[in-house]
Amino acid sequence: MNEDNKMTDKKVIETEITMGTVHSAAIEPYRVRLFVEDEIVRDAEITVGINHRGIERIMEGLPVEKANSLTEKICGICSNSHIWNSVLVAEKAIGIDVPERAQYIRVIMEELERLHSHMLYLAHGSEVLGHETFAMRFFYIRETVMELLRMIGGNRVQYGVSIIGGVRPRCELDEMRILKIREGMDIIEEKILEFADRFVSDPMIMARITGVGVLTQKQAIKLAATGPTLRSTGVETDLRREMESYDPFEFDVITQDDGDVKSNLLVRVLEIPEAIKIIRQALDNLPGGKITNRSWEMQDAPITKSYIEVPRGKLYHSYSLEDGRVRNCIIRTPSITNIGAMQYAAVGHHITDAQLAIVQCDPCFTCTDRAIQIIKI
Amino acid sequence: MSLKSYSRARAIHVMLVYTGGCNGCDIEIVNCIFSPKYDAEQYKVFLTWNPREADVLVVTGPVTKHNEKPLIEIYNAIPEPKAVIAAGACALMGGVYKNIHGDIPSEEIAGPVDKIIPVDAKVPGCAVRPEDILSGVVAALPLLLNAK
Ligand code: SF4
Repeated sequence: MNEDNKMTDKKVIETEITMGTVHSAAIEPYRVRLFVEDEIVRDAEITVGINHRGIERIMEGLPVEKANSLTEKICGICSNSHIWNSVLVAEKAIGIDVPERAQYIRVIMEELERLHSHMLYLAHGSEVLGHETFAMRFFYIRETVMELLRMIGGNRVQYGVSIIGGVRPRCELDEMRILKIREGMDIIEEKILEFADRFVSDPMIMARITGVGVLTQKQAIKLAATGPTLRSTGVETDLRREMESYDPFEFDVITQDDGDVKSNLLVRVLEIPEAIKIIRQALDNLPGGKITNRSWEMQDAPITKSYIEVPRGKLYHSYSLEDGRVRNCIIRTPSITNIGAMQYAAVGHHITDAQLAIVQCDPCFTCTDRAIQIIKI
Repeated sequence: MSLKSYSRARAIHVMLVYTGGCNGCDIEIVNCIFSPKYDAEQYKVFLTWNPREADVLVVTGPVTKHNEKPLIEIYNAIPEPKAVIAAGACALMGGVYKNIHGDIPSEEIAGPVDKIIPVDAKVPGCAVRPEDILSGVVAALPLLLNAK
């Protein structure tokens, strides 16, 4: 597709198709307006704000430990990423050393979360494609990860592993747990490669997803897309390369060139073995010693920020500390910057592909709805 | 057992409405019906997105103000007899989002669910476990099956 195809002239377009706020094609509540001409989408507009619960305001003024565990409630898919980043802010602000073993356990949790998030994406993607069998297969292997998460954190969704100074004592990895994780990784690696192989060798699926929802590299950068969505257009960017916690690990950054649904799916599929690789390295070299550093004292700190790479891209948290309480809290999740990419990806395609083009960017509108406006009185 | 309830027992359609929770409960419910491990479809429980087809309405999330009206409309669109299940701490009492500052009412949250529509079964948990959802659906079944 060339750039001109994506040019829009709103004056000419008369037909508008609105989906939402609750719609059968979209599980989460959000609103999409598609401006259609001859069944081709000429412009798309996504409205968020329906989910707004004001979590940043709720966090304002809470003791920092409470605020940290509250960040998990922002998103049920990448809950660990939120609490990890929020704890990192506090650790950076106060200057707390984290034991090496705790850092390794955090990385293991984050990679397990990446596994389950990517598999959920693949399952959701196949469901939107209309291929329910594949959706069930991906849900089936995802269950292995969910069991591991339940074993470590005690809950299937909100596991609350990180605390300031380390990880919760319950999440210590003993011999038994390490063995179980290794077994799980073997199962996932075998199955995911098998399923991925079947997925890409199915001519019907490939015909449906190739060349749909194209996002060019130039546009993706212009729209500030992030994470796998940006990597699928050929930009080699991964914040894990810069993060201190990931220094000891070897892994490849996966990129694809086309920026369509196929590339997006492949990036996520190929990131699964990389995540397994990181988990195996962490288990092999798991250092001994304590998992929590309790010798720190609360102190006031100016606004501190932290960026980490989560399954969907860059996650930003920042707040300042005042008497052990959280002030000026700001959170930016990757989905909010990816909304631009979603709108653009749907343009120029047939209307039946619009939902697929939006889903290819892995939307999570729950995380997105938090922004608050501060009015000075 | 009347013919209607006989056939109804063989195809229970669950509609999931998501009213602003954190996605956690939501995915667990989809998981509980789709994933081969729990596989509610083997008990002839199906997921649907069409209120006119549904027998059971599962509501997750604390019902944000924007979602209040759609929720009532969906509830009214479901034909009788119907059962409503509120799943998750958010749906039961607003979870972490409601009234966290003591008595100051939240500007965003209209919930919990039983303030807006009548609820027949409540499933606790943050996030709910798939096993619990199955037992919640089972608890609501007599309502559907004994109806005339
Ligand atoms: S009950 Fe917990 S897991 Fe469920 S939607 Fe609310 S915060 Fe999320």
